[in-house]
Amino acid sequence: MSDVLRARGLLKVYRRGRAVDGVDLTVSRGERVALLGPNGAGKTTTLLMCLGVVEPDAGRVEIVGHRLPRGRSAAMAHVGFAAGYLPLPERLRVQEYLRMFGELYGLAHPDGQAAKGLRRFGIGHLATAMGTELSSGQKTLIGVVKATMHEPELLVLDEPTASLDPDVALRVRTGLARLCQEQGTALLVTSHNMVEVERIAERVVFLSDGRVVADGPPAEVAARFDSGDLEGVFLRLAGERQAAEHVEGVRP
Amino acid sequence: MTAMAAARVPARRAALLRVWAVARRHAYVLRRSPHRLFDVTVWPVVDTVLFGSLGVFFARQGGPSTATQAGVAYLLSGIVLWHVVYQSQIAVSTGFMEETWSRNLLSLMVTPLRELELIAGVAVFGLVKLVMGVGVVALTAFGLYAFDVTDLGLGLLPVFAVLLASGWAIALVVVGLILRFGNGAEALAWGIMFVVMPLGGVFFPVESLPAVVRPFSTLLPTTHAFAAGRRLVEGGPTPWGELTLAAAGTVVVMAGALAFLAWMLRLFRRRGYVTRYT
Repeated sequence: MSDVLRARGLLKVYRRGRAVDGVDLTVSRGERVALLGPNGAGKTTTLLMCLGVVEPDAGRVEIVGHRLPRGRSAAMAHVGFAAGYLPLPERLRVQEYLRMFGELYGLAHPDGQAAKGLRRFGIGHLATAMGTELSSGQKTLIGVVKATMHEPELLVLDEPTASLDPDVALRVRTGLARLCQEQGTALLVTSHNMVEVERIAERVVFLSDGRVVADGPPAEVAARFDSGDLEGVFLRLAGERQAAEHVEGVRP
Repeated sequence: MTAMAAARVPARRAALLRVWAVARRHAYVLRRSPHRLFDVTVWPVVDTVLFGSLGVFFARQGGPSTATQAGVAYLLSGIVLWHVVYQSQIAVSTGFMEETWSRNLLSLMVTPLRELELIAGVAVFGLVKLVMGVGVVALTAFGLYAFDVTDLGLGLLPVFAVLLASGWAIALVVVGLILRFGNGAEALAWGIMFVVMPLGGVFFPVESLPAVVRPFSTLLPTTHAFAAGRRLVEGGPTPWGELTLAAAGTVVVMAGALAFLAWMLRLFRRRGYVTRYT
């Protein structure tokens, strides 16, 4: 299986310390990978470095054979990105917003692809709505349509279903599963919802203190930590982090 | 089925399409934000009435001498030309700021859009705002003070071109400062123009400035462009010497502004400042 994302030795040091410390991350074509870890583990920084938005202090990133940062523009034609925390521009209708991004991705028929994407997630009726008229769940769905309308080879989702009700979260999961199956799209997702991750991902990569501490199928990773599920792994890593911070705090 | 099945335009057209997409996005923003029309409607009228009336007042005080009467034309031609710099600069600066206000920057950075294409798209739509703003000044000057800017002839076109490019160069510096210092640097978009206005000799020759600031003024390409504009007001031929100086200065300033922007962009990526806008 060829790789759509290959990151090697990623390092990022901010004033407060090492945010990411030698992370290797590979996502193969059609693979569904979750990047997990407690708050401050380095997930978002790793994602942003993989997307060429933040420059690593060391290491290299390749997307579909395009080396960043030089090949960023060409690489991004193969990547879709959505995040639960990103809003929709308020002064655009949904179809105008999607047409804009369709054109940025170089689509010959952005309106057709937008309509197809809206149908895929069951929200065709929102095409003429203004950004301000949408609920947070609808905004998230529009963000996912935007990220998938150009049929990317790699779809990166940062907390895609945060603050969504179970019904909308299910629609997002179902739509994504269908897309990955039909298009062979690889998925790299971060989430704090471990139940959702077990449903979506076939491989999980756990980060803690900026380092990869586990990488494998969810069941295997859980077993390695003597846990029945990913939630147990997450809680253990979060506990270890808290304990380390406590020790740092009481050290004379 | 394989990925990348959606039909794409050829690579060369894709770059133009991206610039167009950005320009149209900003057209929607202006159409749906009437308050943003202030910069291209109310402000130009206020400026024209302010400087036009000042000119008329001093002309009445000074009597019917040719030099005194020419002062009105200096002020009105100055304000028309000033709005070329002002509108081109503000359009690009606020166009970029719109992406930070709407927290759209990260979404744009994760598309094939290149940084200069974003600036180009905003600048292309800025030309529409420029035509509106300068048009309002010219019409107000004609309607209220019988000053017809087209009387200055075709020699005005190179002056316009130099001032347009100067406005864009200033905007690149402002965008660079916003990338580095965040939205706290927004005030510079407007504030920097009030530094350029007196130093650039918009309404008066550089000799009118205090001696201590004259060297700085002479270094600005806008100073030579406005001087060329005044020569046209006086009825002289197109002052190519002054225009060449202005054009050469603009090339240098533009190169410096691009280098500064590239430096600030590198810093922006290295320090992860994008998270300010998420």
